[in-house]
Amino acid sequence: MREQLLALQEQALVDLAEAEGNALDAWRVQYLGKKGALSLALRSMSKLSAEERPIVGQVANAVRETLEAAFASKFAEWEGKQAAKQEEKETIDITLPGRTRSVGAEHPLQKIIRRIEDIFIGFGFTVEEGPEVEWDYYNFEALNLPKDHPARDMQDTFYLSEELLMRTHTSPVQARTLEKRRPEWPIRIIVPGRVYRRDDDDATHSHAFTQVEGLVVGKGVRMSDLKGILLTFAKELFGENQEIRLRPSFFPFTEPSAEMDIRCIYCGGDGCSTCKHTGWIEVLGCGMVHPRVLEMGGYDPEEVTGFAFGMGVERIAMLLYKIEDIRQFYQNDLRLLKQFASLPE
Amino acid sequence: MKITWNWLGEYVDLTGLTPEQVAEDLTSAGIPVEKMASMNLGVEGVVVGLIESVTPHPQADRLRVCHIDTGTKKLQIVTGATNVQAGQKVPVALVGAKLPEKHIELANFRGLSSEGMLCSASELGLDDKFLPKDQAEGIWIFPEDAPLGENVVEYLGLNDVVMELELTPNRSDCLSFRGVAYEVAALYSREVHMPDVDTSGVATVSDKPLSVRIDTALCTGYSGQVVTHLELGPSPMWMQMRLLAVGMRPINNLVDITNYVMFEWGQPLHAFDYDAIDNWEIVVRQAKDREVLRTLDSQDRELTSDVIVISDHMKGLGLAGVMGGENSEVRVTTTTVVIESAMFDPITTRRTSRLLQLRSEAALRFEKGLDPDAVLPALHRASMLMVQYAGGELVGAPVITGKALISPGAKQQILVRVVRVAEVLGYALAIEELEGFCRQLGLQTAREGAALSVTVPARRPDLLREEDMIEEFARLAGFDRIPSTNLEGVLSHGGLSKSQKLRRMARDYMRNQGFDEVWTYSFVDAAGHRKLNIADDHELARPMMLLNPLSEDRESLRTTMLLPLLDVARYNANRQWDALFVFEIGTVFLPDAKVVKKGVSAPVEKKMLAGVAYGSVAKEPLYAGRNFDFFDMKGIVEGLFGRLGIANLINFERAVYPYLHSGRSAEILAGEKPIGKLGQLRKEVAKAYDLPSEVLYFEVEIDAMVELASPHLYVAELPRFPQVERDLAVVVNRNLPVADLFGTVKEAAGSLLESVTVFDVYTGDHVGQEEKSVALRLVFRAPNRTLTENEVQLAVDQVLLQLHSNYGAILRK
Ligand SMILES: [Zn+2]
Repeated sequence: MREQLLALQEQALVDLAEAEGNALDAWRVQYLGKKGALSLALRSMSKLSAEERPIVGQVANAVRETLEAAFASKFAEWEGKQAAKQEEKETIDITLPGRTRSVGAEHPLQKIIRRIEDIFIGFGFTVEEGPEVEWDYYNFEALNLPKDHPARDMQDTFYLSEELLMRTHTSPVQARTLEKRRPEWPIRIIVPGRVYRRDDDDATHSHAFTQVEGLVVGKGVRMSDLKGILLTFAKELFGENQEIRLRPSFFPFTEPSAEMDIRCIYCGGDGCSTCKHTGWIEVLGCGMVHPRVLEMGGYDPEEVTGFAFGMGVERIAMLLYKIEDIRQFYQNDLRLLKQFASLPE
Repeated sequence: MKITWNWLGEYVDLTGLTPEQVAEDLTSAGIPVEKMASMNLGVEGVVVGLIESVTPHPQADRLRVCHIDTGTKKLQIVTGATNVQAGQKVPVALVGAKLPEKHIELANFRGLSSEGMLCSASELGLDDKFLPKDQAEGIWIFPEDAPLGENVVEYLGLNDVVMELELTPNRSDCLSFRGVAYEVAALYSREVHMPDVDTSGVATVSDKPLSVRIDTALCTGYSGQVVTHLELGPSPMWMQMRLLAVGMRPINNLVDITNYVMFEWGQPLHAFDYDAIDNWEIVVRQAKDREVLRTLDSQDRELTSDVIVISDHMKGLGLAGVMGGENSEVRVTTTTVVIESAMFDPITTRRTSRLLQLRSEAALRFEKGLDPDAVLPALHRASMLMVQYAGGELVGAPVITGKALISPGAKQQILVRVVRVAEVLGYALAIEELEGFCRQLGLQTAREGAALSVTVPARRPDLLREEDMIEEFARLAGFDRIPSTNLEGVLSHGGLSKSQKLRRMARDYMRNQGFDEVWTYSFVDAAGHRKLNIADDHELARPMMLLNPLSEDRESLRTTMLLPLLDVARYNANRQWDALFVFEIGTVFLPDAKVVKKGVSAPVEKKMLAGVAYGSVAKEPLYAGRNFDFFDMKGIVEGLFGRLGIANLINFERAVYPYLHSGRSAEILAGEKPIGKLGQLRKEVAKAYDLPSEVLYFEVEIDAMVELASPHLYVAELPRFPQVERDLAVVVNRNLPVADLFGTVKEAAGSLLESVTVFDVYTGDHVGQEEKSVALRLVFRAPNRTLTENEVQLAVDQVLLQLHSNYGAILRK
C-alpha cells in the first residue's frame, strides 16, 4: 500500500511537470479530486488492518501535502508566465508624453507683491488698499503737496477732472488710513497697488506701474527703526547677506527723507553696468512721516511719530528676474509668463 | 544744474579736494552728482593762430591755402573750410597735436604740404549746439583779443570738470554756484567768499532818470540799475566758455553778464533797452485780459490777468520772470540798459511759463522761490561786470522798491530740542555737535536750555521747522551713523483682509486649473466697445475719460476686463498659441452719478476676476481631441464657487450680451443679484481679434464673492441610514432648461430628497423632434430611519405628477 502511494506520487509529479493551462486543472482532478487517484487509494485503506491504517494514513497525508504543494507552486509559476505574457501584450511606450494638468503661471509682479506682503505680515503689518482714481486732496494736499507746489512736477499726472486724478503713488492710502484710524495707534500697514504717471512708455518708463507703500505710526517710532526694518526686509527679499545704505533725499511727505540702496545683486558691490559702477542699486524711497502729514491726518506729532517707505515693484522684479524692458510686464507674452509657472521664489 | 569745478573754486576754497571726492560726498549728503565729465576730451598741441592770408589752392577748387602766424612760427595749412579770412584768429592744431578723434600729422593736399589743421568747435570736443550756426558749421573764429600762440586748452579753460547735479525740489538753493558753494563749505567746514558787490566806489553819471512803480501784490520787490555808454560785443571767452559748460548759449556781453550772474547768485536778471521805456518809467502790473505782447522770440502772446507784465505807461515790455518783449530787447544800437533784479510770485511765474510753454532757466528759478538777500548783490554784481566788460558807466544809484527789499521780515527762527533729535533719529547727537553742524551750514545759533535756537538765512527757504533741521544734522553726520533698531511697543497682528485672502485663493485656484495670470493696462480706447459689438449708448460704452491722455488707444478707463483680455489673446494667438487659458484680477471703473464731490463724481471701482480661454483641453497634440467649451468654463467657475463654499447660493440664467453667443451665455446670479457673466464669444467678435471660433469668457465680481463667502466652515453630521436611489428618464420640450426640472424636483420631492443630478440628456430618433429625454438620479435619505419602499415611491410619484403638470413631462419607458 505504501509503495503503491509513493509510486502514485512519483507518477503524479512527473505528469505535473508536463502540465500547462487546462492540463493543470485536469491533473488536479485526476490526482487530488474527490474521485481522483489519491482518494481512490485512500478508500481502499478500509481493507487494511487497524495497525497498518494509521501508518498508511500518515503516508497518504504526506503524499497529499506534497502533491498539493507541488501543484500550488506549479500553478503559481504558470500564472506568473501568463501574467507576464499579458503584460507584454499591454506594453506601452513610456517615453511618450504624459497628459499634463499644467499649473498656470503666477504673474511676476504678483509674485513679488506676494513675497513683500508675506514678509511684512510676518512683521505684524496688515495690507491696506485704496482707489486708483483719487481725489487731488489725498494724492497731493494731504501729503503736504499743496496746489502749485513745484514738487508736483516730480509726478506728471493723468487728470479726469480738476479734482479727480489717477493716483500717482500709493501714498494717498497713508492719508486715508490716518484719517480712518485716528486717534488710534500703532498703525503698521503696507499698501500694494497700481499707480499712474503721465510718462511715455519705453524700456524703463510705464504710464502704469505698481508700488508697495509702507506706513508705521506709533509712540517713539524712530528713523533707526525704519533702517532696522528695511535691513531685515532687504535680507528676506534679496538674500541673507544683503546690506543697505540710506542716502538723504526729498519727499514732501517725509522729513528726514532718504533713498535706500542695496548692494548690487549682480556684482556684489564691485561695480558693473547695472549699478552704474557704484556697487549700489537704488530700490526704495523712505523717511520719517512729515509732521504736517500727521497733523492733517489728525495726529499730534509730539505724541506719535512714524515712518513711511515706498518701492516700485517692477523695478524689483526687473532686478530679481533680469527683465530689461518694463513693458514686458504688461505685454503678457505667454513665452515669458509661462516661465513663472516653475521659477523658484 | 550743471557746475564746473574751476568756477565753483571762485567761491569756496577747494584746495586738497578732488572733483571725485566732492561728487561722492555731495551725493551722500543728498545732492546727487549724476554725471561728471572732463571738459578736455583729449586736446593737446592746439594754439591760437592768426590767419595772415588765404589763397585758393591752385589744383583744387574746394581747398584754400592759409598762411598762419602762431607767434613763434609761420605755417602753411590747407583747409576745406569756407568761413576763413585773413586777419582772423583761429584754433590751430600743430603737427603732432591730439584732438579727441584725430591725430594731426604733416599732410599733403594735391601737391601742397599742410603743416597742421584749423579746427572747428566740435573737433575740439565741444558741444556746439549752443554756438551760433556760422560758428558751429566752420572753423571756430576766436575774438580779436585772443592771445596769439596761447594753448587753446588754457585759453578756453578746458582743464575743468563739469558736474551735473540732480537736485530735489526742496534744494532750489543749489540752483546757483553760491548755493553749491555753501553746501561744499558745510561738508568740509570751509568759508564761502562771494565776489565784491560794493558799488559805492564806482563813478556814476546822472543824466538818465528812472522810476519804478509796483502795481501788483504778485511782485514783492523790484530793483533796477541804469547803465550807459555800453558797447555791445561778445563777452570774454572765459565767460562764454563757462556759460557753454553749464548749458547756456552765449549771445552778447550784456545778456551773457545777466546769465552769468544768475548762475552765480541764483537771481535771474533781465536787461531792457533803456530807450524803449517810455518816459523812463517802469510799471509792474498784472496784464489786462487779452492784452497782447510780442516776446523776443517774435511770437504774439495773448495774456490774461494772471500774468505779471513789466511795462511803461504805454505798452508791455516783457513777461515778468519768463521772457522779455521784442520791443525792449537789447540790440546792436543799444547803448543804455536797465538791469532788472526783482522778485515775482513763484506760483504766477510757474503758471505763466507753463501756459506759454516757455521753460527758461530764469523761470525755473523764479518758480522755486528766490532769496531776497541775493536780489541787490546780483544787481550790483551785474552792474560792475558791465562796467568791466562792456565799457559801461553806472547812472546814479539803483532804484529799489517793494516790501521784500525795503523792509524785509525777520529771519526764520527754529527751535531744535536736543532730545527730539534723538527721538526722531534713534541716536543721540550732543548739543556741541549740533552747534558745529550749524556753523558749517553758516547758520547762527543760540542755546536755550537743552535746545538750540537756529537763525535761518533767506537763502535756505527749505528750512522751516524742527524736522528740517534734524534732517540737516542727520545728513551732515552721515546717514550711516543711524543705527538699525527694532520697533518697540505694542505687538501688532499682521495679516490679510477677507477680500485679500479670497483673491489669493482665487489666483491659486485659477492657476491650478491651468490658467496663466496676466496683468493688463487700465486705460483703453474709448471706442473699443465697438469691437465688442457694444452699442454706443450701452453703459459699458460710456467710460470715464482722461483729460490729458497720452494717446487715443489709452484715453479712457476700462469698464470691462474683456477688452484688454482679448488684446492679450490676440497678441498670443498671433504668436502661434493655438490654446490659451488666461485670467486676471483687475479693476474696472464704472461712472457713478451717486457719489458727487466738488461737482464731480469718482467712479465705482470694481475688482473683477475674469478669464479667457480657447483651444484643446489637452495640452499635448497627441491627446488632443476636444476643445475647451462652455461647460469646461462653467465647471471652472462652479469649482471656484465650490472652493469658496458658496456653490449652493449661485444660479446661472440664460442671458443675452452683445459680445456673447446668444445661445451660449449665462448670467451668474447670487439670488437675484447679478455677480458675473459666462459664455462663448460671438464668432464675429472672435474673428475681429484673429481668434478661433470657440472662445470662452467669464467674469465675476470679487466683492460679491467676498460678501457671500462664510467665514466659518460647519461640518455636517455624517449620515447614519442608507440612501435610496431612483433613476427617472422624462421626456420634455427640448428647450426646457434642466435647472428648471431640478427646481421642480426639489420642491415636489419634499424633505426626504437628498440630491438630484442629471446623468444623461438624449435627443434623437427615440423621442420627438421638439423633445429631449433627461435622465435624473434622485437620492433619498432620512436622517433618523431607513426609508421604506412606500415612502420613496410616494415622493417619486409626487415628482412625476408635478413634472407632468409643469412641463408635460412624460416618464420614458
Ligand atoms: Zn553692480
